[in-house]
Amino acid sequence: MRSGRILVVAGKAVAVAALLTWSLVPIAFVVMSSVKPGQEIFAVPTVYAFEPTLEHYAELWRRWGQFFDGLIDSAIITAGATALAIIASTCAGYVYSRNSSRFLNASVMFLIVVRLIPPIVVTLPLFPLVNIMGLNDTHIVLMVLYATFFVSLGTVLMRTFIDQIPRELDEAAQIDGAGRLTILRRVIVPLAAPGILAVAVFVVVFAWNEFLFAFVFTATKAKTAPLVISEMIGSIDGVDWGILFAASTTQLAPILIFVVLMNRYLVAGLTAGATKG
Amino acid sequence: MAGLRLENLRKKFGAIEIIKGVDLDISDGEFVVFVGPSGCGKSTLLRMIAGLEDITAGDLFIDGARCNEMEPRERGIAMVFQSYALYPHLSVFDNMSFGLTLDRRPKAEIEARVREAARILKLEELLHRRPAQLSGGQRQRVAIGRAIVRKPSVFLFDEPLSNLDAALRMDMRMEIARLHKELGATMIYVTHDQVEAMTLADKIVVLDGGKVQQVGAPIELYKKPANRFVAGFIGSPKMNFLDVTVTRVADGSAQVESPSVAPVAVQASGFAAGDRAVLGVRPQALRDGGATALGSIKGHVSLVERLGHETIVSLDTASGERALAAIPQDATYEPGSAVTFGFDPGAAHLFAA
Repeated sequence: MRSGRILVVAGKAVAVAALLTWSLVPIAFVVMSSVKPGQEIFAVPTVYAFEPTLEHYAELWRRWGQFFDGLIDSAIITAGATALAIIASTCAGYVYSRNSSRFLNASVMFLIVVRLIPPIVVTLPLFPLVNIMGLNDTHIVLMVLYATFFVSLGTVLMRTFIDQIPRELDEAAQIDGAGRLTILRRVIVPLAAPGILAVAVFVVVFAWNEFLFAFVFTATKAKTAPLVISEMIGSIDGVDWGILFAASTTQLAPILIFVVLMNRYLVAGLTAGATKG
Repeated sequence: MAGLRLENLRKKFGAIEIIKGVDLDISDGEFVVFVGPSGCGKSTLLRMIAGLEDITAGDLFIDGARCNEMEPRERGIAMVFQSYALYPHLSVFDNMSFGLTLDRRPKAEIEARVREAARILKLEELLHRRPAQLSGGQRQRVAIGRAIVRKPSVFLFDEPLSNLDAALRMDMRMEIARLHKELGATMIYVTHDQVEAMTLADKIVVLDGGKVQQVGAPIELYKKPANRFVAGFIGSPKMNFLDVTVTRVADGSAQVESPSVAPVAVQASGFAAGDRAVLGVRPQALRDGGATALGSIKGHVSLVERLGHETIVSLDTASGERALAAIPQDATYEPGSAVTFGFDPGAAHLFAA
């Protein structure tokens, strides 16, 4: 009995350790390599004791100014896509939550099915269309694209969150003289904030890291940071791994901090005490 | 202030008719209680008045104006919900001022009105708290406060006390009665609790199956129920119903009897000799000892509940029915013993079987 329990605990520990190794080792490797002196990055055996240096970051700043332009483009596109996705998902989720009809119920299924199609299949044929509209190589095209991918998931998520807000609150607000939009803005949105943040996390992570569509639809004016990183690999004067790791770390840091911060909000439930106590 | 008129009001959900043609007049300043068992349509009717449910057919007039298609905010009403429906992310003050803010009232006026309502409801200390930090009774007072600040001409209450415990319910009941006196506004109150209905109402509307069964003052309903449903619903413990046979009819009265009910003439019309009928006698109308009374019920004691001020005796009658007697003092009865309870025929009712 006792040994059985020890085995369970040990098994859990091994599983957690394996999971942590799997997910953290690559990140640790990238971050550590970005502050290792150049010749020690791929040294065999691996050097664990080294003098940390910021030379790669300085070099990145000097030689790859466009990477920082790329970060700004990434930030603009991520912010825009997130805002678009949140607005659309919240509005749609509200409608799905508060109304029901055969058409609405069927369209939920459709939303999920659409999500299963490989995005590139739908997107590539859009290329000539985007060109005609003069949206090629603009921030807008990526904002719209990224937002679109997440509106279906976002809508379903928001519906679930809004379903938990008692309908009586809508009705009380209606009696208080609020129209639909006011109810959405002043009652639903504040209470569905954890849901909105959850959707935001999905979109932000995706938009910040996305490569393929950025590669297809942008060239110079809206080039995102991941594109610049890929250029570093294909650089004609050979790959400078130190700079590459510094760039990767810089690219990774904000998103990591964002997700860690948001994680706390994802769990919070705001509706406590809304109705009967 | 405003009166209401409901004319043949109907509500269908799909093919099912929930409200089957309600006609009702409510005068300005009246306290009207809709009462009935769950599913009788009382809440639906209230929500139709509020504008939260569409009216399928018929007309609703508030203060003389037809308002079938009006938005809730245009009807001059305020509503208190069973679940309180307070905005959990707003303070008590903001909950109460929400409607006024939407109405773009001047800040000073909002402040004054909320303070006034808080004073009436003794909420001054709690204005900065969130709903989650309040007790059930306090939340209910905030919900009422939110209604008061809007100075509506009609207050609608949807089972406002059913989430409170018994002691608090009594306090809040008195508070609502006091509020009605103080504000003088028309109030419509939905409940399934007949004690609330009897104590609060100027006028009770008994609903069952989407239809009005009877409208009247509480005592009128108690003393002269229009039908067996109302007779059984109003009064506690419930009225006894005993199957009887009409043996003779005279002008305005019918003589009835059964194996457990001795022949007695009660006020009734529309019956013929030989008809099956149902005799209704309130438990409080039964008195120990059949000899001195004009009507009597025989049976065996099956259960005795001694409450101190009153004794509830449950008896199995000779015809296999169950009857309750509420004796207004402490008394002892031996379970299984034979008893006869008498009643004044003037206090008995006869219904069609």
